[in-house]
Amino acid sequence: MMRSKHIIGVFDDEFNLVRAVEEIRGKKIIIEEVYTPYPVQEVIHAMGKRSRLQIVAYFYGLFGALAVLAFLYWTSVISWPINYGGKPFNSFPSFIIITIILTILVVTIGSLATFSGRARLWPGKKHRMYDARATDDKFVIVLNESEAGAEGLATAESIMKGNGALEIRKEEPEDE
Amino acid sequence: MYNRDVRGPLIIGEKTFGQISTEILAPAEKKPGKWWFAMMTLATLASAWGIYSIYITVSRGIGTWGVNNTVGWGWAIINFVWWIGIGHAGTAFSIFLLILRQKWRTSINRAAEAMTVFAVGCAAIFPALHMGRVWLAFFIIPYPNTRGPLWVNFNSPLFWDFIAISAYLLISFSFWYLGMLPDFATIRDRSRSRLRKVLYGFFSMGWVGSSRQWLRFESLAFILGGIAAVLVVSVHSIVSTDFAVAVEPGWHSTLFPPFFVVGAIFSGFAMVMTLMIIIRGIYKLKDYVTDGHLDAIARILVFISLIMGTAYATEVFMAWYSGSEYEIFTFFRNRVTGEHALQFWGMIICNALIPQLFWFRKIRRNLPLMFIISLCINLGMWLERYIIVITSLSKDYLPSAWTSYAPTWVEVGTYVGTLGIFVSGILLFFRYIPIIAVSEVKSVRDIGKRKYD
Amino acid sequence: MIKYWKSLEERENRGRTAKEAGEHKHKNAILDLLDSNTVGHQASRRDFLKLWGYSLGAAALAASCERPVQKAIPFLFRPEEMTPGMAKYYASTFFDGQEYASILVKTRDGRPIKIEPNDRSGFGARGTTARVQASVLGLYDDSRYKHPLKGNEKISWEEADGEILAALGKIRKKGGKIVLLSSTVISPSTLAVFGQFREKFPGTGLVWYDASSASGMLQANRDSFGKAALPAYHFEKADLIVSFGADFLGTWLSPAEYTAQYVSRRELDPENPSMSKHYQFETGMSVTGSNADVRIRIKPSQERLILAGLYNTLARQTGSTIYAAPASPLPIDELAGELLSHKGSSLVVSGSNDPGVQQIVNEINYLLGNYGETIDFTRTLNTRRGISAEMLNLVDDMNQGGVDALFCINVNPVYDFPLSGRFEEGLGKVGLKVSFACLPDETAERMDYICPDSHYLESWGDAAPGTGFYSLQQPVIQSLFDTRQVQDSLLKWCGKQDDFHAFMRNHWKENLFKRQSMYRNFDDFWNHSLQDGVYEAPERSGRQPSIRHKGMKAVMDATGKSGEPEDIELLVYESVALGTGRDANNPWLMELPDPVTKLTWENAACVSPALAGRMGLNQGDRVSVSGVIELPVLIQPGQADYTVSVAAGYGRTRSGKVATGVGANAVPLRTVQDGELLHFRKKVTLEKTGEIVEPALTQEHHTMEGREIVRETSLNEYKENRQAGNELHEHMESQHTTLYEKPLFDGHHWGLAVDLNKCIGCSACAIACQSENNIAVVGRDEVRRRRIMHWIRIDRYYSETPDDPKVYHQPVMCQHCDNAPCENVCPVSATNHSNEGLNQMSYNRCIGTKYCINNCPYRVRRFNWFAYVNNREFDFHQNSALGKMVLNPDVVVRERGVVEKCSFCVQRIQEKKLQAKLEDRKLVDGEIKTACVQACPADALVFGDLNDPESRVSKMFANERNYHLLEELHTLPSVGYLVKVRNTKD
Repeated sequence: MMRSKHIIGVFDDEFNLVRAVEEIRGKKIIIEEVYTPYPVQEVIHAMGKRSRLQIVAYFYGLFGALAVLAFLYWTSVISWPINYGGKPFNSFPSFIIITIILTILVVTIGSLATFSGRARLWPGKKHRMYDARATDDKFVIVLNESEAGAEGLATAESIMKGNGALEIRKEEPEDE
Repeated sequence: MYNRDVRGPLIIGEKTFGQISTEILAPAEKKPGKWWFAMMTLATLASAWGIYSIYITVSRGIGTWGVNNTVGWGWAIINFVWWIGIGHAGTAFSIFLLILRQKWRTSINRAAEAMTVFAVGCAAIFPALHMGRVWLAFFIIPYPNTRGPLWVNFNSPLFWDFIAISAYLLISFSFWYLGMLPDFATIRDRSRSRLRKVLYGFFSMGWVGSSRQWLRFESLAFILGGIAAVLVVSVHSIVSTDFAVAVEPGWHSTLFPPFFVVGAIFSGFAMVMTLMIIIRGIYKLKDYVTDGHLDAIARILVFISLIMGTAYATEVFMAWYSGSEYEIFTFFRNRVTGEHALQFWGMIICNALIPQLFWFRKIRRNLPLMFIISLCINLGMWLERYIIVITSLSKDYLPSAWTSYAPTWVEVGTYVGTLGIFVSGILLFFRYIPIIAVSEVKSVRDIGKRKYD
Repeated sequence: MIKYWKSLEERENRGRTAKEAGEHKHKNAILDLLDSNTVGHQASRRDFLKLWGYSLGAAALAASCERPVQKAIPFLFRPEEMTPGMAKYYASTFFDGQEYASILVKTRDGRPIKIEPNDRSGFGARGTTARVQASVLGLYDDSRYKHPLKGNEKISWEEADGEILAALGKIRKKGGKIVLLSSTVISPSTLAVFGQFREKFPGTGLVWYDASSASGMLQANRDSFGKAALPAYHFEKADLIVSFGADFLGTWLSPAEYTAQYVSRRELDPENPSMSKHYQFETGMSVTGSNADVRIRIKPSQERLILAGLYNTLARQTGSTIYAAPASPLPIDELAGELLSHKGSSLVVSGSNDPGVQQIVNEINYLLGNYGETIDFTRTLNTRRGISAEMLNLVDDMNQGGVDALFCINVNPVYDFPLSGRFEEGLGKVGLKVSFACLPDETAERMDYICPDSHYLESWGDAAPGTGFYSLQQPVIQSLFDTRQVQDSLLKWCGKQDDFHAFMRNHWKENLFKRQSMYRNFDDFWNHSLQDGVYEAPERSGRQPSIRHKGMKAVMDATGKSGEPEDIELLVYESVALGTGRDANNPWLMELPDPVTKLTWENAACVSPALAGRMGLNQGDRVSVSGVIELPVLIQPGQADYTVSVAAGYGRTRSGKVATGVGANAVPLRTVQDGELLHFRKKVTLEKTGEIVEPALTQEHHTMEGREIVRETSLNEYKENRQAGNELHEHMESQHTTLYEKPLFDGHHWGLAVDLNKCIGCSACAIACQSENNIAVVGRDEVRRRRIMHWIRIDRYYSETPDDPKVYHQPVMCQHCDNAPCENVCPVSATNHSNEGLNQMSYNRCIGTKYCINNCPYRVRRFNWFAYVNNREFDFHQNSALGKMVLNPDVVVRERGVVEKCSFCVQRIQEKKLQAKLEDRKLVDGEIKTACVQACPADALVFGDLNDPESRVSKMFANERNYHLLEELHTLPSVGYLVKVRNTKD
């Protein structure tokens, strides 16, 4: 998969990492990815990505609520109206509760699906890591030449050095 | 947001992240101790009895229980509500504290959520079991069928219940699982054994901890948290409608939804406390589950127990204030006094009085005492459900139909069985899953220590 | 199947067992294997595999189908005038030796399944009692005799006839004595048959023996009027009814008839309300007593004194002869005053079997000029003939060996004769003992021959219950077993060729046909009578006789004195359900809660709360009564102090699986006093055995807790204000406000009205409902667990003091609320509301959450806790193919785990609606009758359409007395109750 040359900087301290990432980004150098054992807000922010999951979820909710209400009305007024304890067929007040719950259900399932799609996470998915310690106690910055450019890599390397990276590895493109 | 001057550090001692992983993942990575097997055997025996009772119930009929044509619901429903209540802690914990940005939750929420999942699982057994024809339980699902199609009765609280419980189970589980993804990945990458790599690799769904993943992870966690918060409140409100919507004296009350939700969280937190004290003791995780954590739970319990006390008082007052002779009879002659007075006062003492001890810092630091008190609360909450179900049903409107109720060994067996299932679930959880959310703990390692944050 | 042979030996062997092999040829190979006869032959591996496969398949098949396979066998040739699936009704007659009823038998596809009252009969009520309703189940009793027996050996009728005739022949030669011991027979033709038999065998004696005896009255009437007969009583004409221990609404003589008469004076006409007033002097709390306006508790031994005192007081004031007699233990001047102010419109009756008591009663009624008014001697009641003295003589005779042959017809003295011990001894000395019992009983098992009688639904017969009333009994089903009705047996032994049917036809031709003028030829007469079931002729049996005070002085002298106040007196009474225990093996009756005690499945020693307190007895303590019987104590409010009353009919030692060994037999404790069998004993002792048994009660709490459940008022208040006692109703109606508009029912809106002033709590409706709706019997333990299945329960409440309580009866069935709380909560919509206002229950949909049970404020829903059909644990009548024949095919038999309840007999509603539709007409009010309504002898229940303003039920709903149970809950029930009104002073 690697088409170009990579440098991998490994940190063992959140604060050094953050400084490094911010400096590199300050130099307008594109970082391929940063791997951390836990979410580091500054990094996520610095990477400048935004998630639209909330907006999607909102629409799931809207759809769910309307669909459920429609279903309830159809079943109990049109499909087969039945008299329960003298209530009118469309006894709206007692439909509300189910609407709420089912809406929540729709939102959950919807956003779970979206998440696994967008974040590319599903059971048994193959994964590739530049440094296995990234899920344990190390913080890893990865840049590649095609995005960052040759001198970009150089500056990034020096920055990482400057911020006390444990080690900096270079990886040549493998030919598949 | 988080003020370290109020509370001390969340994690005691200078630890490298590696240390944190090692210490927390120890139970999941090492062989369990003797006590684990001992407990497991006990739990299995209990479950066996439960399963036998269930077999008897299904094969011979509900007649093997103590319920009758006046008291249609007995222990089954009491236990159902009790378990659901306990099942509330986990989600309540994570959700509310997440929304309130209470970072100290991190060491606890994993266990709490696990508890939720198992408790709700246990709870779900009872409504199924108390059906006369459980093999036709699918009738409750509104699916297009060849009978008309005949839909279900959307006005029935039992149907609401069914929907709510299933939704709650699903969401609690996914919320719990989501939190475990990074930790599974950690185990995967740390372990040397091929099998573990493959297994945890499968369950970690290819988590690598990239900023992209974290980004979406966080926002999904926030969405789930948001809706689950609504759910926590609504689920037990709906359980309460099983009673509040009915005409029975002592049930038909608008107080029930909030009363039940609070009660649920009460019993749930008590159970969390019980579990935490055990985990601390067994797994030497004092540095992660600090006295500060338990202290915080204790404070919450005091607060809730005040609410409970108020609720009980309100119920009795409203009964008198309503002027309805049926309500008055139920509360003043069938609860406060009469056949069930013992259970009633037991409930008051366990839920409203004993927790008040938590006002004293000494007691909030005394593990054995806290342990006992947390158990008292769970007992008290069980009694509360007993009072609600039995007193109202056994003596309601027409005295000619009045009678009493006593459980048979089958009902007791089923209850013990669920306890067994719950415990064995928890034990497996100890064994194979990080008891504490490693990644989250790491994120709060330095809080309360560094000068700049 | 081909059997291969390995060796010649084997071949030979097979040859020898050719017969056996032949038997199996036609059979399926695998069945052959399974067949036990073929254990001998070796199964080949092949066979084994086949068997294996077969059993696997069979198991799979059995496992896969949820319900048992139903067999429906169509008629090859449809029987004349029978449409499969359509019920046919045949008029017939019920008489069990005690109680008479003209009935309609409902048959479905040849099976009698329900007993209904015959409206064409002028005798008795428009309803039936519980026992008549339950009698249909007796037909399908597994424990019936299925063929003649000699000792315990099965024999054929030919053998039986032969041997018995031979024995009879011998006896006739030596001029020996033959006795027919029978309970009262009201069938003229049967009497003629007896006549034939006595002609054929001279020296045959006929002794009447009634377990429920009126011997005392018969003798008293003979002494007073020279006429050993029972008069016709007219409770409907009496403004003042005074009963001394006569339970005329429950068990006395002709209860259904008297109930109808009695309640006709309890119905209140708002225009000018009037009611009869009812005094009851009694020991235990009887149904009658529970309905009395004034109830006075007396010890049995006081009865005669009070009556003597009453007579003297009346005599003094009317200036007739006064006799020397001790003063009454109670003040009776007031009562005497009231009686005198109701001359000719009062009625005094007594349930005592003491001729003296009855004679005084006669004198009193005569003084009051009640003969010809409330008592009619021109018409007699023929349902009792037994004179105790004759029975006692017979017993002596037997013991002296004076009886050579004894034929027991519908009697069971070994069980229900107080001196059964002596009777048994006597039996030993009788040469030929023949019983005609239909069911095994204590007497039959001591007989040489049992020539089982057919059930009355399998037999021909006629009856003359009262002067001028004749009715016919016809078989509605072929005899199920190899039984023969008594009359046929006797006729056969007389050497008659024609059977009883022909004999009876002939008898009617000779007698009744000649007396009537309506029909030209006999066939018309016969056919019409047979179709109507009754023939009524304007006959009189003489004039009102004038009284002769024969032996009155002796009686008054012999009044004696009552027992010591501290002595505990025992009263043995007949219970509404079991009576004398003849039908004890009927599970419906066994599980019918006693209208007053609400006890099922046993009898108890009822004691007053005061006595219990004094003796430290608690409910359920087992006590031994005079060391003769052991019973659980039941604390009975209203029981006279220092008395204990015990129901007869229990403690059968030889009967079917239901009755045997249930309860204890109190009959041996009755006193025999100068030739009369009294119902009480002057002194018994009660000792705790220390054992405690939980009585199987269907009601545990007996007060209304001050709730307005049964509303009542007094006649005077009612006269002032028509809404008296029902003020709450109007208030509630005004309070009702609702979020949703009131549900509207176009078309029909079914409703049921219950007049609490007419309901006497006799429980006939409960059995009618059980029989109509296939309601399961659950047994004593399940009743203890409060799981009785009855769809209609009669709540019984007490008020005021436990020593002298007021009693209330209230039938509670599903109220069919238009705002039904139960419908609302069923998750699967198994119960919902029909557009005719019915709260309907679909069993197939029910998953058994029991939520509806909890949410029904009336608790009328019942849950099938177990499978009650084909379940060894519930071995009553739904386990055998025979017992199941009683099931009503129009009503589904409920599966385990579903909820059931009163459906307003929706199957009957639909049937009548269809009928009306076919005939293209509107439904007539009163056309649809639910089972309870139809059976009610008191006409207390009225069913109809609430949308029809002219219907009876609408009118009752419009009555100011009408209210709804728990109406404050705004459930809008379709059942209304009419306020109870007591004719008391205040």
